[in-house]
Amino acid sequence: MPTQTHTYHIVEQSPWPITGAMSALLMTSGLAVWFHYNSTTLIVTGLLSLLLTMYQWWRDIMREGTFQGHHTLFVQKGLRYGMILFIVSEVFFFIGFFWAFYHSSLSPTPEIGGQWPPTGVFPLDPFEVPLLNTTVLLASGVTVTWAHHSIMEGKRKSALFSLLLTITLGLYFTALQAMEYYEAPFTISDNVYGTTFFVATGFHGLHVIIGSSFLIVCLLRQILHHFTMDHHFGFEAAAWYWHFVDVVWLFLFTSIYWWGT
Amino acid sequence: MYYKFSGFTQRLVGVPASVAYTPQGLKPAVHTELPPLTFETKTASVESQPSPKVWIKNTVPELQKLFQKPDGVPVYLKRGLPDQLLYRTTMALTIGGTIYCLIALFMPRQAKK
Repeated sequence: MPTQTHTYHIVEQSPWPITGAMSALLMTSGLAVWFHYNSTTLIVTGLLSLLLTMYQWWRDIMREGTFQGHHTLFVQKGLRYGMILFIVSEVFFFIGFFWAFYHSSLSPTPEIGGQWPPTGVFPLDPFEVPLLNTTVLLASGVTVTWAHHSIMEGKRKSALFSLLLTITLGLYFTALQAMEYYEAPFTISDNVYGTTFFVATGFHGLHVIIGSSFLIVCLLRQILHHFTMDHHFGFEAAAWYWHFVDVVWLFLFTSIYWWGT
Repeated sequence: MYYKFSGFTQRLVGVPASVAYTPQGLKPAVHTELPPLTFETKTASVESQPSPKVWIKNTVPELQKLFQKPDGVPVYLKRGLPDQLLYRTTMALTIGGTIYCLIALFMPRQAKK
């Protein structure tokens, strides 16, 4: 590698932005073709190429950071700002769903019986599975902090154990939510209650799955010795994301599950 | 030659006979230089022993060497054949898919005319 006299990361030419854009085209056109001609060829091609792009793009970022040393302290600062801005945009994404929920629940229209929960809707008991889910996510917030401290202190075994525990709690949460969805006495098409409930909790569930995947990648990277005591931003970003998902759940629990019933 | 426990190296080291008269921790009456350490007999070092706790070898230093090789190969192809295969599959899927997509979009348009 040639000598570098600055702290910036001058990125190489990469094929992934264009393959990602083409995958997006294939997926949107694929959806249209699927709806109109009942053919899934295009959407499957789009999905497959998107997954390949994602895998290789993130693999290259790991190579640049861990193997080529491009993630200097200065570059890491940029990555930190990027992750913070991404999480802020996600916060606003969820604010939209909370807005819809409060808009509909604070002034219920005559069409839904002028009350909240609407006439005929029997909500879930917040102190059964949802409360268990709250404790599961809060516990996973503790274990992810344990993992962070283990990595910072170079305790490999305890880092692996706590990370595995966090992922297990995340998967347990997803399983419990899947069960709740299956058992729910209302559906997404049961007026605005069902819509706001399933859209908000569904997108949260999707984010839990994304966060779990992010943590699984961190576990694999920890197994492969990628993280050092003072350089492990990949893990930190995953931990930030996990805490964000955790906080969104607390708002969902208190607003939709508890106050909303 | 006699042996004395060295507080610095934490092992027995050869010393001249005079040291036997000056017990550990006490300043010798006469200044005696220690002979240079000899490494003729092999002693097992802690670092060289394979630790049973490490169940996955740390390959990061080797990979760092591989990925920092100044051979002009871009980062996405640096690992050789597996990278080539993935790259070509992705390219074939996206380019082939886009051509198929454009045909699928233009065919119904032509049929109407």
